[in-house]
Amino acid sequence: MKQMMIAMTGAVALAMVSGCATPDVREVALDRAPITSRLEPQDVRRTVEKMAESLISAPGVKEAVGGARPVLDIEPLKNRTMQHVDMVSITDSLRMQLLRSGMFRFVDKATSGTDIEFMDSQAQLGLTDTKKAIKAGQQSAAQMYLTGALSEIKNQVGRTVDQYYKFSMTLKDLRSGEIIWADEKEIRKESVHPVIGF
Amino acid sequence: MKQMTTWLKAAALTTGLLAFSGCVETAGTVVTTDHATGNSTILESNTRLKNEIQVLGVNYDEVNGMKRVNITLASAKHRRLRVDYRIIWLSANGMELDPDTKTYRNLILEGRDAVTVTGVANSPLAVTSKMRVRSTADAD
Repeated sequence: MKQMMIAMTGAVALAMVSGCATPDVREVALDRAPITSRLEPQDVRRTVEKMAESLISAPGVKEAVGGARPVLDIEPLKNRTMQHVDMVSITDSLRMQLLRSGMFRFVDKATSGTDIEFMDSQAQLGLTDTKKAIKAGQQSAAQMYLTGALSEIKNQVGRTVDQYYKFSMTLKDLRSGEIIWADEKEIRKESVHPVIGF
Repeated sequence: MKQMTTWLKAAALTTGLLAFSGCVETAGTVVTTDHATGNSTILESNTRLKNEIQVLGVNYDEVNGMKRVNITLASAKHRRLRVDYRIIWLSANGMELDPDTKTYRNLILEGRDAVTVTGVANSPLAVTSKMRVRSTADAD
């Protein structure tokens, strides 16, 4: 009995001391299992992939511009949730996938100010050959633009938190005002708080 | 003394079992489809998953110039199953096309249910699709 008590005390002491060890850091897969009911990177990745695939396979997009590669722009998604989510990052990922598919061309009005700065410096500083300087008024015009929103519904009953997210996106034709494509991605997650703990 | 020995054996067994619990099997089922010839191969590397999920059929077509594959998965169990699947695309010379953009998607299969999953290529260079299924419990 005495020896058993000594052994158990030693085990407890060892467990306590192990808390002084350096934290265990390792690289994990991008699509890991969920660790929280909040929005996680793998949720965003799956959403971007689904939206890109849906848009690539949409039947009405190319027909709307007579079979040519349409010029798109993207409005950052509106965040209607209580969480801080970098919506610009999400739209950047979506634009990257659509651009690399080769089916679409893109303009980016968010960087128009930078474009003007470059053109002004080429025209006014005197460092650039005026024949080679890029003049304003030659850029492609967006024919359509992508827009969308992220919304959430959260419910808590006792120790259970039920969190629902919906990404919705639409593609609108600037000339006709018609919505050419629309899709949404729903995510639902549940977390149960432990009886003892935080 | 005899009781102490019993306790030590139990502690050693517990420690051993805990150590082995880190050995998670992430092998799964792989369905490779050559869209040029129409041949599909199914490789089931996980015995437990093989007894739970069956590949019923593979169909493929083309949409807007991009390859598309539809694979029907069926549950062989009566309970709900949670699996992840990922569909990547390869070029004619076997190179993966933008693999980082293809994610593991989760799928919930009700008992004895069949679901068709779809993947669309992210490049017109794609000629082969490869779907990999793993158990959600084995994810990181």
